[in-house]
Amino acid sequence: MTASVISAESIPGTGRAAQGAIELRQVSKHYGDVVAVDGLDLTVQPGEFVTLLGPSGSGKTTTMMMVAGFEEHTAGTVLIDGRPVDSLPPRDRNLGVVFQNYALFPHMSALENVEFALRMRKVPRAERRQRASDALERVGLGKMGGRKPRQLSGGQQQRVALARALVFNPAALLLDEPMAALDKRLREQMQEEIKTLQKSLGITVLFVTHDQDEAMAMSDRIVVMKDGKIVQSGPPEEVYNHPITDWVASFLGDTNLIPCTIVERNGEEAVVDLGGLGLARVRDRGASGENYAVSIRPEHLKFRTRATAGNGCAAALVSSTNLGATVRHRLTAGGHELQLRELSSDRGTRILPDEELWVGWDADKAQLLVLES
Amino acid sequence: MSNATLERPRPRGRSAPGSAEAAPRRRRSGWWLLLAPILAFDVVLFLTPLGKLVGASFADNAYQRVLEDPLVVRALVNTLTISLASTIVTVVLGYIIAMVLWRAGTVTRVILFAVVLLPFWTGILVKNFAWAVLLQDNGIVNAFLQGIGLTGAPIPLLHNRFAVIVGMVHCLLPYAVFPIFSSLTSIDDRLGLAARSLGAREGSVFRRITLPLSMPGISAAGLLVFIISTGFFITPVVMGGPGDMMIANQIDYYARQLTDFSGAAALAVILTVMVSILVAVYQRVLKAGGQHEDN
Repeated sequence: MTASVISAESIPGTGRAAQGAIELRQVSKHYGDVVAVDGLDLTVQPGEFVTLLGPSGSGKTTTMMMVAGFEEHTAGTVLIDGRPVDSLPPRDRNLGVVFQNYALFPHMSALENVEFALRMRKVPRAERRQRASDALERVGLGKMGGRKPRQLSGGQQQRVALARALVFNPAALLLDEPMAALDKRLREQMQEEIKTLQKSLGITVLFVTHDQDEAMAMSDRIVVMKDGKIVQSGPPEEVYNHPITDWVASFLGDTNLIPCTIVERNGEEAVVDLGGLGLARVRDRGASGENYAVSIRPEHLKFRTRATAGNGCAAALVSSTNLGATVRHRLTAGGHELQLRELSSDRGTRILPDEELWVGWDADKAQLLVLES
Repeated sequence: MSNATLERPRPRGRSAPGSAEAAPRRRRSGWWLLLAPILAFDVVLFLTPLGKLVGASFADNAYQRVLEDPLVVRALVNTLTISLASTIVTVVLGYIIAMVLWRAGTVTRVILFAVVLLPFWTGILVKNFAWAVLLQDNGIVNAFLQGIGLTGAPIPLLHNRFAVIVGMVHCLLPYAVFPIFSSLTSIDDRLGLAARSLGAREGSVFRRITLPLSMPGISAAGLLVFIISTGFFITPVVMGGPGDMMIANQIDYYARQLTDFSGAAALAVILTVMVSILVAVYQRVLKAGGQHEDN
């Protein structure tokens, strides 16, 4: 059953099996003088889960729409499984699309929604019914086939949209902010379900979101976009821990940005002068710009004793806020304001107002980056 | 003791909610006053004359008299067939215009809206005579047809049923365009995108998505246009032939030529009852269609 839903069906007319490789070469989209997407190069490997992450207006949805064929790019080439699809209408691109509001057909039942693609492909009625109910079964809605979309909850509607996008064995799945309308708990559940489904089918996914947590939780690779360009691309941990600009660092979560000057660069590592905090050894990705800073995530700052070796400095506590699972401390050190986050369970004793504190961090958790602003 | 404690709160309890309820009741009691002007207006100017008319229709054996008149039967059949034809043509044309409006850019949309609304604001007599000028034997349409050699002699385009339907459709179009347009604009654009991504051609998108989802607009337009059609009076006179008279023309004939007011009243009641029955059947059929879709 697992194999039958996403069996190696060939792309119509090519005789080749659908692998699901997506490639964008120098793809641009201009609306008059406005550049929405600017010379994008992106390769998505077969079976890879790639997330386009960026704020609104970064061109991520436009990029996805160009892959789907709903928007025409003004320059460049889009290839699916090595074949240029620039002149193909959406119906011939063999891609499953899930929209932000699911775009389920309100006048059709869940089953009819899922059947739609098979009906368009002239699949005989009996086989169509069978494949559509199998797809609904797969997303856990086997008994809901007769319901209209308005009779389904948000989460159920999304499952129908997923089944509808998968039932015709598309080369890849394009998801445009599919979780935006769900509440937090359901969103996390659906993230896991989509990830599990994607792994079991081995299908390529191009995912669009502005939610960095969602991107972190689901992606094999995150492509961070800003102003129509790719700023940084890599596995979630790498992009999170080793951002190349302060903008990426801040967009992916809270961080401490400490302006610095470079003393010595040495491949993967650099020695920097952190002003009031002294010299420190940090990770370096070789990015160059005018001004530099070091980014240390709040959870990578630790309370230490002065004796412990490594990077560190004396600090004074400004405030502590208990956030439930974690505690956020605001500190001042060497004229900088720092944020330190630790698990509530790690905090045995209350910090006294006049207590002498020493904070430190591991060299590989401090990242040298370019200050954009 | 227990009796006393039980009873003591009672009068308080009775009086307190009583006085509390009195205030909202007093506030609520005047609601119908707001309806009074329109009620008075309706009773004096609409319901009373209507009642008098219905009463008059039962005098002098009027129903039997008018229904034995072959011209009346003919006019009734004309009314139904002309109205039905005009409704179908109007809804189809209106749908096309609404689709263009829906898909048009802002500038085109504004211009088209003006074109649709202009006849709406023009008197029906003006519109009908304008058509009469266009469609007459030496009118611009016949001149054009002869000019391109499609016909040697003028085609009779005026004073026939075709002309009546043309004149009526022109007047009725806005009533079809607006309900259909509003139902089209309520369709989420992404449904069309989704259908295309699932393999649908433009024709399938229209047939399976746009058309079914705009059915409420189509049925509203159909109903509105049909009801208005049955009351047309000027257009058959200006543009029709002797065989294209509708029921309103017969009412006029009975009232003014024959001064048979009970006959005219009977005709008016017959028209109203006939249209009401048709509307009820229409809505029943629509509802059944909707339920069928659900299954």
